[in-house]
Amino acid sequence: MTPRLAAILVYFTLAGAAGLAAVPVKPCCAEDPKGVSGLAPPSSRSVYQVDATWTDDAGRPARLASLQGRPVVLAMFFTNCEFACPIIVSNMLRIQETLPPESRAKARFVLVSFDSERDTPAALRLYRERMRLGDEWVLLRGQPDDVRELAMVLGVKYARDNRGQYAHSNLITVLNPAGEIAFRLAGLKSDISAVGQAVVVAGR
Amino acid sequence: MTRGAVHVLVLGACLAASAAAGQPPAGMALIPEGDYAPLLRGKDDPATVRVPAFYIDVRQVTNADFLGFVQSNPNWRRSRVSPLFAETGYLGDWSSDLEPGPRAPAGSPVVLVSWFAARAYARWRGLRLPSTVEWERAASAGFVTEDGATEPAYREAMLDWFSVPTPSLLPAAGSGRPDVYGVRDLVDLVWEWVDDFNSTLVGGDSGDNSGLDRDLVCGAGGADARDFTNYPAFMRAAFRSSLGASYVVPNLGFRCARSP
Repeated sequence: MTPRLAAILVYFTLAGAAGLAAVPVKPCCAEDPKGVSGLAPPSSRSVYQVDATWTDDAGRPARLASLQGRPVVLAMFFTNCEFACPIIVSNMLRIQETLPPESRAKARFVLVSFDSERDTPAALRLYRERMRLGDEWVLLRGQPDDVRELAMVLGVKYARDNRGQYAHSNLITVLNPAGEIAFRLAGLKSDISAVGQAVVVAGR
Repeated sequence: MTRGAVHVLVLGACLAASAAAGQPPAGMALIPEGDYAPLLRGKDDPATVRVPAFYIDVRQVTNADFLGFVQSNPNWRRSRVSPLFAETGYLGDWSSDLEPGPRAPAGSPVVLVSWFAARAYARWRGLRLPSTVEWERAASAGFVTEDGATEPAYREAMLDWFSVPTPSLLPAAGSGRPDVYGVRDLVDLVWEWVDDFNSTLVGGDSGDNSGLDRDLVCGAGGADARDFTNYPAFMRAAFRSSLGASYVVPNLGFRCARSP
């Protein structure tokens, strides 16, 4: 492990300890009073066409399509990830911080787990607390088949090893209010400012 | 209850009974539980993977089969399909939405179909796509033994396929020599979709893909290989890793599978 990586991990461990129970958990997607049925059917390029029923970190059923109308920053991850996911999430947190107030109020940040087995709603809730993720964050788990399909739509590759860990693409995707892929950022060391700009543009 | 419903129930009961008795469903062959030695694996992964028994179609899905699917599922017709699910060129060798035509013979494998389309077809038939390990386990069988690697004739059939370009008109699916399980054309007609093709992370750059293979940089992915002489398996892994789920390719088809 590199010193830098160790520093990052220590940072998150401390941040998690300090943030325990400090963050209220808000229902996923409850901002949309009309629900999915009240919205127009997704466009032919909308990721929301494959929408499955997910479960959020409070154990409630959730649909991605209920985020329609908002710019969304989405990544796939798993809570036992030792390496890449904390960096992806910290990148997303930085993106959130740098957004201008108007975009920041609109945007939602979504994490969908690869790990249908271990990432129960309780595990996701712990992760939310550990990473100090605010109300704008939506943490989801789903059936393996639905996870596979979403990964395919996003272009995320992943494989589970015999220890139950996942190798995966490091990809942050921006969806416009229609659920269409507006921007994709691959890699961990990439310049995240472009993602913020994409969120601002998508939200206009 | 109508007579039709009774027939359906009886038929269903028969199908269930035949499956329970180990008789493969029509058009499918049983691949018994066994070991598969993955070509590419991580440092800590075991040398072999136990693959539970499964059924697999003895031949690829044909243009005629797929026509039935698009007739019943208008959203999967060429003119209607969402660009999210299939890129331009989907069923591009067909004459029209509901007419495969001269360039897509009824009995030939359907190609130019995306992973999403293949998966939707399988679900429509109550089946699924085989996983990578299932497909590779099936393809590791030879014509006369369960280990094709030991059969020169089987190895040659595989390698020959790589040496000739894809013919403009594909031969009929199921016309090849059956392997020991009765499955045909796995390695010498067209490439085939597998359900988890996106689990092949060959050649991933360590910046883009990470988690397990932190040291994996470009071609170093091949350094984990088990058998350097298995050229076809390398090619399949490379091919899978190059695909996207909406891609359509002129020599990429599929067949279905199911668990017992």
